[in-house]
Amino acid sequence: MKPTLVASLTLCALSSLIIGAAAQDAPVDLVKVGAKTYDTNCAPCHGDKLVSSGIAFDLKRLREDERPRFDNSVTNGKNAMPSWRGIIKEKDLDALWAYIRANAYP
Amino acid sequence: MRIFRLMTIAGFAASCFTCAASAQTAADLVASQKSTKEILTYGMGYNAQRYSSLTQINRKNVKNLTAAWAYGLSDQLGLEAQPLVHDGVIYITNHNRTAAVDGVTGKELWRHNIDYPSETTRVVCCGIVNRGSALYEGKLIRGTLDNYILALDAKTGKEIWKTKIADIASGYSITGAPLIANGVIITGVAGAEFGIRGFLAGLDPATGKEIWRTYTIPAKGEKGSETWEGDSAATGGGSTWVTGSYDPELNLVFWGISNPAPWNPRGRKGDNLYTCGIMALDPKTGAIKWFSQTDPHDAFDHDGVNALVQADIKVNGEAKKVVMQAHRDGFLYVLERATGKFLAVNPFVEMNWASGWDYKTNRPMWTDVYTKALAGEKVEVWPSLTGGTNWHPMSYSPKENLLFINTFNVGMNYQAGDPEKVTAGQRAQFVDLTPIKPANMGYLKAVDPTTGKAKWEIPFKVANTAGTMNTASGLVFTGQLTGEFIAVNSSNGKILWKFQTQSGIIGQPITWEKDGVQYVTIGSGIGGVYAMRTAAAEVTHVPTGSALWTFKLQGK
Repeated sequence: MKPTLVASLTLCALSSLIIGAAAQDAPVDLVKVGAKTYDTNCAPCHGDKLVSSGIAFDLKRLREDERPRFDNSVTNGKNAMPSWRGIIKEKDLDALWAYIRANAYP
Repeated sequence: MRIFRLMTIAGFAASCFTCAASAQTAADLVASQKSTKEILTYGMGYNAQRYSSLTQINRKNVKNLTAAWAYGLSDQLGLEAQPLVHDGVIYITNHNRTAAVDGVTGKELWRHNIDYPSETTRVVCCGIVNRGSALYEGKLIRGTLDNYILALDAKTGKEIWKTKIADIASGYSITGAPLIANGVIITGVAGAEFGIRGFLAGLDPATGKEIWRTYTIPAKGEKGSETWEGDSAATGGGSTWVTGSYDPELNLVFWGISNPAPWNPRGRKGDNLYTCGIMALDPKTGAIKWFSQTDPHDAFDHDGVNALVQADIKVNGEAKKVVMQAHRDGFLYVLERATGKFLAVNPFVEMNWASGWDYKTNRPMWTDVYTKALAGEKVEVWPSLTGGTNWHPMSYSPKENLLFINTFNVGMNYQAGDPEKVTAGQRAQFVDLTPIKPANMGYLKAVDPTTGKAKWEIPFKVANTAGTMNTASGLVFTGQLTGEFIAVNSSNGKILWKFQTQSGIIGQPITWEKDGVQYVTIGSGIGGVYAMRTAAAEVTHVPTGSALWTFKLQGK
């Protein structure tokens, strides 16, 4: 067996294992993960539990179709907000977005 | 003309030149505590009492106080700084500007802008702000969020030197005012939420060269390192983000050292020296002369950086030279300045994590709230991490022997889960918190220093996060987060005057005089972590934007 094939099979087995474990224990609760990331990195300016003072942008105003705008602001920074590139990673963005959308204004 | 006359004239000219060049000398800074015209230091004097002997504005005529001018800072992010005053010129700072303003007219004389890298604010935990500057020998000296100390020409605003003292990538920032003591610039750093190793640095005012650095967290093998679990000291926090005070007689600088990192205590067993305590240092060398720890192994981000106010008072009937601190943890600490001995420790707000102070062991008498928290259980804690009071400075009246403190009345539900590894430069808290907010979230209190008991208190729905200042005419000045600048009768707590400014007040009032007129100056501009987090729902109708206001009596 060629080394590359071994590596591929191992990787495949490993990822199956990870997916399997996640599916068996509990589905990853994106909203909960997002809440934790939010509390650590975002709440100091955007407010506890997404309650905004109006000083920084009220994230509950984001609409369903504004994900690209959200990604762009977090990744590249906007106004007083720094770029979070490298700190808030792509998977964190998914979780953050899930948390924000779960609490968005109707 | 005879030679000796020539020499006399030359000598006179030379001494005048020296006079002008050496404005705000070390002696001037000592003397300014008693001056009514000059506010040359953070704290309105080295003792940080924020007390003025001015009496032109008094309880009877304060109703006639009126705005003289307002100066806009073109900024939306909060104005916490204490202004300085020299020769009728006011110096004001925020996160990206330093400005000199004519104190009588409000006209700008110069401004200097700071352009820090955008990623800087990733490591600013609690509001994108600056709290003030220092004056020395014609230079206006301040820190920047990205860890430079800047010296500007106080006459022109031109940069004289700039020294970098730390990296934002490692979690450091500077928000506090420098303190100049015995000819040395002393600066602290912020960043205990980002796994820094805290320190104080001493710089030469002439060149900006760093002449000493004293770490608040010992290196491996150093004394105190045994009070940290494993390698937890390396990212142990101990920041120094609020300016200390200086006793020129003892030649001691007092500085509050902040919380250990992370807030979750379960991965850093031990007393965690030298966090959460008061440190006394020699300003020339940075040598630690004493350290008195208020919260060994802090679990609640009770910090320890609050204003250190000096006074000569009686404790148990005995005259003592003391330094006082209304601490985030809820205790009012009174320590002997020369030795750091705890003389009186009493609660000044509701607290439940300790039942008192043990003077034999010099440690808090912890309750099961604390022990359960260490075990990872969910507990209700008073005061919350916001503290019995926060960074905003109290003031002291030597006339009435009272401290005027804007206190918080906020608790928290708290749980520290399994500890996680701290990465320097990234936010590290690792606790679950929910604030408990009663109907009145704060009080302005007049507190007896040795008992902690309030002579009077005024409730506020939204707690004040501004400093207080008081005068010999029996007035206390402070501001509300909803924008009202108020004057209060110091003996009974009655609000005698109020003025609605354009934003929320989180600044530090001062009073000063020029040409026989007394002025009161305060910054207004909402911001800071309390407004943005805890009280967010209560301030949604407070507009942002910063302005410096100055008031005087009508007709003056």
